[in-house]
Amino acid sequence: MKQNKHRFINLNSKLIALLLFILFSNCSRNSEATRFTSEIKFRQYYVQGQLLYEQHCSNCHQKDGSGLGLLYPPLNHSDYMDQNFEKVICMMKYGIKGELVINGKSYNKEMPGVLSLSDLEVTEIATYIYNTWSHQKDSIDISGITRILNQCSQQ
Amino acid sequence: MNKTKSFSRYAVVCSLLVILFSACTKPEKTLPIFGERNIEGSDTIYHTIAPYSFVDQDSSVITNATFKDKIYVADFFFTSCRTICPIMKTQMLRVYEAKLSDPEVLLLSHSIDPEYDTVGLLHDFAGRLGVKSEKWHFVTGNKEDIYKIAQTSYFATAMEDKSEPDGFIHSGAFLLIDKNQRIRGKYDGTKDDDVNRLLNDIERLKKEYEAK
Ligand code: HEC
Repeated sequence: MKQNKHRFINLNSKLIALLLFILFSNCSRNSEATRFTSEIKFRQYYVQGQLLYEQHCSNCHQKDGSGLGLLYPPLNHSDYMDQNFEKVICMMKYGIKGELVINGKSYNKEMPGVLSLSDLEVTEIATYIYNTWSHQKDSIDISGITRILNQCSQQ
Repeated sequence: MNKTKSFSRYAVVCSLLVILFSACTKPEKTLPIFGERNIEGSDTIYHTIAPYSFVDQDSSVITNATFKDKIYVADFFFTSCRTICPIMKTQMLRVYEAKLSDPEVLLLSHSIDPEYDTVGLLHDFAGRLGVKSEKWHFVTGNKEDIYKIAQTSYFATAMEDKSEPDGFIHSGAFLLIDKNQRIRGKYDGTKDDDVNRLLNDIERLKKEYEAK
């Protein structure tokens, strides 16, 4: 029994060495592969995000993100979005009320949140709105969104 | 010989058909008149909007007399609605902009959540939308009265329903009302092309009055 375990460990370390060898020899190709999968992931998030945006947000903010008068603020150009990423993540799910100043103009109507959004869906919408119109934030990681969402729900 | 004969016959039939169809479409039909009608003697009595009295965003009292000799477009909404109302308001804003300089045309939006949508709130709402009060009236008033006029005068659904995401069921309809307070058209206020049809029908309706 003991001997068996020993052999197993031995085999295991050999295997690890082999794996490490393969890994390193493949290193350059590997990072390309990661880039490739993350590009695919970004595309997926983006496409889903657009659908969700049109379902939950474009009623008010419009498809082209231009908003409506001083009722619904614009997303296509928004200094607020640039400076308040975490607040924006929270408001998608939990809503927001009170005065907001966007591009120097005052808005003050309640935005209802969409409580049913999952962390993934919030990530997808964020990927969409932060990479469309004037925004180029690049890929957004779901673990970061989960962390932000956990914090806002505790407020 | 035979061939040319049959060809000319063919040409005659064709041109007859063309004439027939163009004759069919030429006189633009007048818009329908919605609702029941009663014949009284030699007069036909049409369905009209019942008397009402509401208050708009400037605290002005709005009654049927406000729309005397005016064509107007009516709808039902509430400011806190997140589903179809923002789209309806975007579309109504198109109508507003298209008819801004036309004194014959006015707009009337009724709140179906009048307890929440106070005059102050409607004033803020209209201000943020950037529209003039004398062109576009946003009215609030007695809830029962608003629901009743929606259902029995404008044939629009409006009722409270706590199971709906917004707490209300209501249609996204825009209603075209003529100078005699009769309904002449019903449009989906959330659809671009239906609202284009409305804009076109407003012009048709105006022509009807010019011809008189
Ligand atoms: C019912 C209308 C409505 C819906 C639906 C809505 N919003 Fe908003 N949104 C608002 C209003 C009103 C404000 C301003 C809130 C305030 O004044 O406190 C706002 C503010 C914002 C802001 C910050 C201001 C800015 O312009 O940068 C962002 C970002 C935003 N919304 C994104 C979204 C996203 C994403 C969704 C969909 C998940 C969404 N909104 C759905 C009405 C809406």
